[in-house]
Amino acid sequence: MKRLSMLFLACCLGCLGATQAQAISPEAQQHVLTAASKNLIEIGLSYHGDQIHFFGIDPVPGSDVVIRLTAAKEEVVKLSVKGKVGPFWMTVKQYEVTGSPFIYKIHASKPLDQIMSAETAKKLELGYPAVRSQMKMHLVRGDAAPEDEGIVWQGLVKIKEHANLYNIVEDPKRLEISEGKLFKHYFRFPPAATEGRYQVESFCFQKGELVGYGKDVIEIKKVGLENWITQTSQNNPVFFGIMAVLIAVGAGLLVGVLFGKGGHH
Amino acid sequence: MDIYLPIAGMSINFFLVLGIGGLVGFLSGLFGVGGGFLLTPLMMMVGIPPAVAAASDSNQIVAAASSGAFAHWRLGNVDFKMGLVILAGGIFGGTIGVQLVKVLRAMGNFEFVMKVVYVLMLGLVGGAMFVESLRTIRRSKGAGAEAVAAPVTESSLTRLFNKLPLKMNFERSGLNTSAIFPFAIGTTVGIMAAILGVGGGFIMVPAMIYIIGMPTIAAIGTDLFQIVLTSANVTLQQAIVNHTVDLLLALILLAGSTIGAQFGAVAGKRLKGEQIRILLAIIVLVLTVKIFLDLVITPSDLVSLAPAKGGGH
Repeated sequence: MKRLSMLFLACCLGCLGATQAQAISPEAQQHVLTAASKNLIEIGLSYHGDQIHFFGIDPVPGSDVVIRLTAAKEEVVKLSVKGKVGPFWMTVKQYEVTGSPFIYKIHASKPLDQIMSAETAKKLELGYPAVRSQMKMHLVRGDAAPEDEGIVWQGLVKIKEHANLYNIVEDPKRLEISEGKLFKHYFRFPPAATEGRYQVESFCFQKGELVGYGKDVIEIKKVGLENWITQTSQNNPVFFGIMAVLIAVGAGLLVGVLFGKGGHH
Repeated sequence: MDIYLPIAGMSINFFLVLGIGGLVGFLSGLFGVGGGFLLTPLMMMVGIPPAVAAASDSNQIVAAASSGAFAHWRLGNVDFKMGLVILAGGIFGGTIGVQLVKVLRAMGNFEFVMKVVYVLMLGLVGGAMFVESLRTIRRSKGAGAEAVAAPVTESSLTRLFNKLPLKMNFERSGLNTSAIFPFAIGTTVGIMAAILGVGGGFIMVPAMIYIIGMPTIAAIGTDLFQIVLTSANVTLQQAIVNHTVDLLLALILLAGSTIGAQFGAVAGKRLKGEQIRILLAIIVLVLTVKIFLDLVITPSDLVSLAPAKGGGH
């Protein structure tokens, strides 16, 4: 029933026509109607990442779809670059990187370079080359070298991909489009995706031009004990430290009483 | 079953953490030493950020040592006066150590310094223990051909300390010696406790016995007493300065180590002292080699995330 009503909506939107002026600004495009299986992720004790399903209706049937997941927050990443000092490997320089997204995931119905031109990709910040051009590096320590930009970029992508915070999937199987209109897919939010607001943007392209745009907002927040521990340790560190010590002493004494002799130091 | 560690900011298998705690508890029950020096490297191996591993380990040590200290206090093995002098040094050293950690983290070489200190210390302790226990085993095979171990004489260091100022009378230990050395060793161990997240018993106890000249049982009881307070100080400082104490992690480790220690103590009764020591020496040496290799083998990733300013992760 839900699916039927979505299809009906799609037809209506389709009927409205797609003959608007095609500016590059995404918000000016036709609205892509989307829905998420949920908009709030709660980090509890047993949290190990979460998965959210998204559905959307392509306003221009048959067009290509690109979905992007980013976080609505600025991030300053400090990266250490190791080098050899004598026989040892240790940090020799550090860069502060700004302008790179905290999370960056893309699902596309086919390879991005087949969907749009490099110029459009750069304007809309779609794909790694576009992200790379936004990245700004600032040397904090050590001596800069010309090849550092490449090393830092590749290192950053590797760290992010390892934490499942960056990835680009250009595969129609991952982004299903039924009858050229209804698309569905899911994003996996890894455990490393911390508290904050995340946005899932849907871009529709026809013949390299942006013809539709839609956005969903997802919020991740710690709840219960996780939230309390984090908040207390950050906002009230003295109290938190004393509490950690008292709980440990209490637990230790309890063990001592329970096991009679206790103590293994 | 996964559990989300709020300060480490990561999800990890609950039984893996419990198992690490259990393994270290088993070894410390077996060998009668604190497991701190094994616990921090093991946690780092499963991906817990080094600074969080060290700080949470300190928190866990508070619990483990307080149960032991409680037992020794009931048996009258704690020299409170000596403990307080060492403690004064320990708090002084712990405070310096936490600031050092802060500076090193900001410079991005905390992990490097931590590993170097580990290699030096574990190599030294492991090597010495290995040689000593091998000798004992050989000697016992010679079946009493040699005389019993040379009687412990007052070392030249002990005599030197007797000449230093600030003499104090430590009744429980039956000593009248200068307070400077216990304070200095407390400071050294306090610094290490902060950097490595260890209790330092494996250095402190031999130093108290061989250098200060305390009776073995009083050394162990007093050491546990001061470890509770030194680690408590380090935990508090880490919580305030670096926000790196993961209470949840510490509690799971504690649960594991408590259970493990009971099994370890039972296993320990079936082995001879020198067999236990040589086993421990081998474990320590293997760990030393592993950490050393980390320092010299080309890392697979040259670029790594440096901790954000002030943040725990």
